[in-house]
Amino acid sequence: MRDRATRVGFLILLLAVWEILILLHLWPTYIFPSPLSVGQSLWGGFSDGTFPIAIGVSLRRIAIGYGLSLVLGLLLGLLLGRVRLVDQALGGVVLGLQALPSICWLPLAILWFGLSETAILFVVVMGAVLSITLATADGVRNTPPIYIRAARTLGCGGSRLYRDVVLPAALPAILSGMKLGWSFAWRSLMAAELLYVSLGLGQLLSLGRELNDMSRVLAVMLVIVAIGLSVDRLIFRPAEERTRERWGLRSLA
Amino acid sequence: MSTDSAKLEVVRVVKSFRSRRGSLLALDGMSFSVAPGEIVCLVGPSGCGKSTLLNILAGLEPADSGQILVDRSPIRGPGRDRALVFQEAALFPWLSVQDNVAFGLKVIGTPPAERQARVAQFLNLVGLAGFEKAYIHELSGGMKQRVALARALAINPDVLLMDEPFAALDAQSRDRMHDELQSIWAQTGKTIVFVTHNVREALVLGDRVLAMCARPGKVKREFRFSLGRPRHMEDHTLVDAAREVLAELQDEVAKAMQEEVEHERPGH
Repeated sequence: MRDRATRVGFLILLLAVWEILILLHLWPTYIFPSPLSVGQSLWGGFSDGTFPIAIGVSLRRIAIGYGLSLVLGLLLGLLLGRVRLVDQALGGVVLGLQALPSICWLPLAILWFGLSETAILFVVVMGAVLSITLATADGVRNTPPIYIRAARTLGCGGSRLYRDVVLPAALPAILSGMKLGWSFAWRSLMAAELLYVSLGLGQLLSLGRELNDMSRVLAVMLVIVAIGLSVDRLIFRPAEERTRERWGLRSLA
Repeated sequence: MSTDSAKLEVVRVVKSFRSRRGSLLALDGMSFSVAPGEIVCLVGPSGCGKSTLLNILAGLEPADSGQILVDRSPIRGPGRDRALVFQEAALFPWLSVQDNVAFGLKVIGTPPAERQARVAQFLNLVGLAGFEKAYIHELSGGMKQRVALARALAINPDVLLMDEPFAALDAQSRDRMHDELQSIWAQTGKTIVFVTHNVREALVLGDRVLAMCARPGKVKREFRFSLGRPRHMEDHTLVDAAREVLAELQDEVAKAMQEEVEHERPGH
């Protein structure tokens, strides 16, 4: 409760400082808009429908891109974690590729897929898939052997062992990979939309810059932060906490 | 004892492990047999290969040589005729208590209605009726071992293999589990191989107690006491009997410790 009060208090202070700086007229408002005009832009964007449309487009892309990353990442991670040969061959490549910011794939994606939805999805997938893969591989590799032995004595083997034991046992690790993957995917999508003409929140940003509408730019940034944060707080964090608790991994507070 | 009537036979089982300091002989020609419905306790110092033997009996590890026979046919890998209960309960934390107990039944494709009935029956048997929907992290150590026992019993194995299942429990829970295991055994007539390092526990549960040598492990001496059931760890006759077994094991414990020291000595 006190944490929250501190946080809210600090935000109010920040807004106050911002407003004071505006009142001092240090910079022209097209460079440094007031909190009020950003608020107005936010309201305007929502009431004239531009924000909801852009949000819809971006969310659709992230849903498809992230969904693909999830499927690919789980499969690849399972292979890396369980098949020695695949790990030896591919493990280094996956680790190396993770050092590459996914937006660097955009030129290549445009050459391969043209100026299309596919190019954007490719960048999003490249952003998210590696961290999901690595986390899954890690979780699968570290499945407590006792679970596998117990399952085998109960007659469980083959693909069933993976579905019913190895994957569930790795779920806490997989979830943190999914969380990380989500934030990479969201950043990649925004970067790709910024650089490449298409609907979506990223394009609203570059449009705002072209029109010198700084308060709109800031308003869109707020929307991007809000979406990124709420998915993390409303979906991933509770899911992660619940699994950690149930799996008995939560440290005793 | 006649081997014809044996439920489980262990015939000259040899097992060695590779370690940094070369090959380590864990079991050296271990042999014994267990009659149907009998409880045999294996007791010995740590490192005498008790757990290794149970893993081999469960089919989780192959023996280097020798044979395990159940109803006179050799085992091949894990099988539903044998169920293993571990020291750590090894329950699946992502499943509720009832789903843990149902795990083995699901694997063999028992129809849901029957599955539910069996789960209820065995949770009832281990005294956990009403905990069907609970999750593992909500249970105490003793309750976890009960669930593990119910999970093992649910697949209706002929032989129950128990690897120091009560070693991690506090004294009260352990005593209660001893009572319950004896009553479950009386009701179900399972053949049980129970491994422990606690001599009195072995005497409480076992019809026969096999004292094992330290590395390499094999049966050093067989004890058979005629004590009435149910038994408790504090019974006077039992404590006296335990002294006899302990004396036999004393040299082995000393030998095991000596070996451990030798094995770990740098440059050895």
